[in-house]
Amino acid sequence: MRQHLKKAGIILFWLLVWQLVSLLVHNSVMLVGPVETIKCLCRLVVTADFWLSIWYTFWRIGLGFLCASLLGILLAFAGAKKLILGEFLSPFFAALKSVPVASFVVLLLIWFGSKNLSFFTSLIVVLPILYGSTREGLANNDKKLLEMAQVFRIPFGAKLHYILLPGLSPFWKSAFSLALGMCWKAGVAAEVIGQPLQSIGNRLYQAKIYLETGDLLAWTVVIILLSFGVEKAFARLLRLLPGEEKKEPDSMKEKGDVA
Amino acid sequence: MTIQVDHVSKFFDGQPVLDNFCMELSDGNSYLLTGPSGSGKTTLLRILLGLTRPDSGRVRLLGDYKYSAVHAGVVFQEDRLCEPFSAVENVAMVSKKLSPRIAREALEKLLPADALDKPVRELSGGMRRRVAIVRALCVPSDVLLFDEPFTGLDRENRKKAIDLILAEKGSVPLLITGHSDEDLGFCHPIDIRTGVPLQMG
Repeated sequence: MRQHLKKAGIILFWLLVWQLVSLLVHNSVMLVGPVETIKCLCRLVVTADFWLSIWYTFWRIGLGFLCASLLGILLAFAGAKKLILGEFLSPFFAALKSVPVASFVVLLLIWFGSKNLSFFTSLIVVLPILYGSTREGLANNDKKLLEMAQVFRIPFGAKLHYILLPGLSPFWKSAFSLALGMCWKAGVAAEVIGQPLQSIGNRLYQAKIYLETGDLLAWTVVIILLSFGVEKAFARLLRLLPGEEKKEPDSMKEKGDVA
Repeated sequence: MTIQVDHVSKFFDGQPVLDNFCMELSDGNSYLLTGPSGSGKTTLLRILLGLTRPDSGRVRLLGDYKYSAVHAGVVFQEDRLCEPFSAVENVAMVSKKLSPRIAREALEKLLPADALDKPVRELSGGMRRRVAIVRALCVPSDVLLFDEPFTGLDRENRKKAIDLILAEKGSVPLLITGHSDEDLGFCHPIDIRTGVPLQMG
């Protein structure tokens, strides 16, 4: 409880700093304060356009993320199984990782047009992250347990459940958290470049054209909240993996013991 | 079935660990493999399992054995348990035919009932060892290979484990490595340094 109060206090402090700086700047084009941003947000929330834009961007980035995760994980398993395949794939994904997002976006814009640009961008940003972390997780698996599974002829399903997934989960936790943050930022940036109508990126761009700094910050808040919410939801999902400690019941039990 | 180890040698860094070693394991018999640490007992078990290739000589699986590697119930030198899972899960995972209920019944013969549902990483060394022993007995197998299975067990638990092994082992050959032959009088002793000459013909 005290921890939460402390955290809230710190956040409040920075919001106050933000408000003070905006009062000092006293120019609604250069900077608007949190109060003004909330007002803009309230004005936006009641419009249908607001929700349509969110929906447009959300499901494209989300679908790109899901497809890339699935593909990245499958390719990593395949690459770990057939080493020659892995040797071909690894440099490709390493290259993919180091190409600047902006270059990709322009190329994708030429290939596929602006409509589904954020889907492809999200896909390409997430794919190498999940491939890399899954390969690393598989390579770090306990060799002695794998040998045990081989000697006992444990079927693949059980091997996956009892040995591979528990070994992968710490790698996946950091990879998914990174990938989710990246796909939102890159996806929206792609939309700012590609300008598909009714997207969050398009709304950001309009805010720039009309010098609506309040709208810009309001949309920024929306993006942060969305990405934060999705990341939390996904972290919960990952706790369902086998071998993860089910935290809540345990801490409940301890409290019960003390009482 | 019969497993024949025929003049097997294995070198590490030019040093012989096994030198023309011979022995034969046959159904219905139990063996106690003794020798000082580092004398190649674990290496021999790995060669029997097909995990390490001998530099010369070979392991023969006699009696119309149709698989290339032997089906073995093994207690490894380390426990090799899946840490976040319970004892019951660790035993039940080794075979599709094994229900959690059967795994639990088997475990209860060696372990207190309240230890069976905790993650095995929370169990003591001796308890973990006993889980590994029960698991090895539950694996569908044609030979049992137990590498120092009683490490960390006190006399009483060691006796209980041996009784369970005798009751559950069936007719397959059993090979135990260890330092002490206490309560293991039923085993044929084999010294790793000399082996047992093969009876030809």
